[in-house]
Amino acid sequence: MSYMNNPAVVMDNGTGLTKLGFAGNDSPSWVFPTAIATAQPSNAKQTSSNAVSAGASSVANTGQSSGSGRQYFGNSTSATAFNSLSSGSALMSNNLAGKRGTEDLDFYIGNEALIAAQGPSYGLSYPIRHGQVENWDHMERFWENSIFKYLRTEPEDHCFLLTEPPLNPPENREQVAEIFFESFNCAGLYIAVQAVLALAASWTSSKVIDRSLTGTVIDSGDGVTHVIPVAEGYVIGSAIKNIPIAGRDITLFIQQLLRERGEEDTSLRTAERIKQEYCYVCPDIVKEFNKFDRDSEKFAQFVVESQEKTRRKVVDVGCERFMAPEIFFNPEIASSDFLTPLPTIVDHTIQACPIDVRKGLYNNIVLSGGSTMFKDFGRRLQRDLKSIVNNRIVQSEYLSGTKSTGVDVQVISHRKQRNAVWFGGSLLAQTAEFKSYCHTKKDYEEIGPEIVRNFSLFNMV
Amino acid sequence: MPAYHSTFPVDPQTDRMVGNIVLLPLNTKFRGPAYPANSDYDIIDECLDLFRANSFFKNFEIKSPADRLLIYGILFINECLSHLRSTTNYNEAVKISTNVALDNFVLPGSSGFPLNTVYTVPLEDHNAMELLRTYIQQFRQELAMRLLDRLYRDSKERPSKFWLAFTRRKFMNKSL
Repeated sequence: MSYMNNPAVVMDNGTGLTKLGFAGNDSPSWVFPTAIATAQPSNAKQTSSNAVSAGASSVANTGQSSGSGRQYFGNSTSATAFNSLSSGSALMSNNLAGKRGTEDLDFYIGNEALIAAQGPSYGLSYPIRHGQVENWDHMERFWENSIFKYLRTEPEDHCFLLTEPPLNPPENREQVAEIFFESFNCAGLYIAVQAVLALAASWTSSKVIDRSLTGTVIDSGDGVTHVIPVAEGYVIGSAIKNIPIAGRDITLFIQQLLRERGEEDTSLRTAERIKQEYCYVCPDIVKEFNKFDRDSEKFAQFVVESQEKTRRKVVDVGCERFMAPEIFFNPEIASSDFLTPLPTIVDHTIQACPIDVRKGLYNNIVLSGGSTMFKDFGRRLQRDLKSIVNNRIVQSEYLSGTKSTGVDVQVISHRKQRNAVWFGGSLLAQTAEFKSYCHTKKDYEEIGPEIVRNFSLFNMV
Repeated sequence: MPAYHSTFPVDPQTDRMVGNIVLLPLNTKFRGPAYPANSDYDIIDECLDLFRANSFFKNFEIKSPADRLLIYGILFINECLSHLRSTTNYNEAVKISTNVALDNFVLPGSSGFPLNTVYTVPLEDHNAMELLRTYIQQFRQELAMRLLDRLYRDSKERPSKFWLAFTRRKFMNKSL
């Protein structure tokens, strides 16, 4: 039972970024894109219409004809071109590695993948779409590299805490269990819902008095923003709402503003840097415009240096500092098809929940994800939501003639917001009880993959 | 929080109206029918203050007759900006804007105006229409000059690019 003393591994695979690290740490050891670059011939086979890869696919064909005598290669999931080219492949055909080609080992993940994909011989793909795993083969290889190349651990010595999006089908959990127990032979596995971990991460904030797992999580990453109500550790699935506004839309909006002003550099990269370094949420746009007029200190300059550091471009930063995050509160300014402000969506979400948990949901609104990191984001959300709620209370008091006890709206910002899900996982996985909540390899062999359909909840006091 | 509305209260009984447009008092030296304003802050200041914020919005719900004047002001600012270039200096800009302000313009409510769903004016009442025309002209002249004050606050040589960037934004998807 050597794994009992080792820290658990916490892996949060998001659509955009993967966060890797060990339980008990403050921040993930690795954060990199959830991207995998695989050898091109496998892609060329799938998209043979691609003119560029025409040469490569012809190689793949010859490879198959020469390797047709070896049944194992015929069964492999990807093209076999690389096997026939490598001289040692015939020898490997009778061991396990030979079952798959060596091109299975020829891939990169994370930032290395982005670099490799710039060359001609690798194709880039993102195995997670909308929070859910789309390509299990790529995902397995991604995990393999995460464990052995980045974390450098032996899976049989560690428990693993993985995360999943809300409403993840149980079949996906089983698939994860099969990979982790059968391919990696890990000691124990726990799969947690991201929103619940985000709630746990907020316990570090001084505003949180009781460590309950009831609250509303606003999780905003790069592609989409979710509003997820959680009652006593269980996600209220029917009330979850998605908003098609997130980090990427803010970046695009900044780029649009820069272009309208005719700035020297209007690349997406510049827009993204400006978003990360200069943007904040203001209480009132008109007043903020006037502040900029009075006080030129508010304007900023962003310097873009070319790679060789020979030319410098200066980009002035103006009203996009506060206008960009404003699209959460006034989506109308950037999009024409989605018009509901974030505070209204949060209110609708909570109103769609059972009445006895609503107070708890209003009371504990937790932010998570990079796009909630703007200064004063929480404060503005709290103010807007409070006014919506108070209006309703006044209305109902007027209609019923009774006095309401009031609803306390509280939005919690904390320092761990950016990697809140990972941090929450780290927090829970370092507890002594964690290992007893994990399903072990032994349980898995006894019962089968369906064991992971249920995990007992953490009841932390 | 939707687009910003005018804060000027309008009482149709006491304020001067032409159709559903209110002729609010203005602080101006240009000749015209407008009454002098009681305070320093008039509808023209409000147009200039709200122009940048409201330019981002495509929907606008009219809450008072003063909002109609606000819409006209914002659209006119956009019109002025579209005649300026990033290299136009202050003196040229004065000439250009005066021309734009005095140019033949379509009165709101009459045929050819882009937002006629919100404006109704008594087209057959000649006196009222003449009053509206002179008022709007006065309004345009004063607004153009005060706009230039803001545009050239930092330098008389070139207009602020932070203002000029709003040329391409269209409030309510309309332009004069």
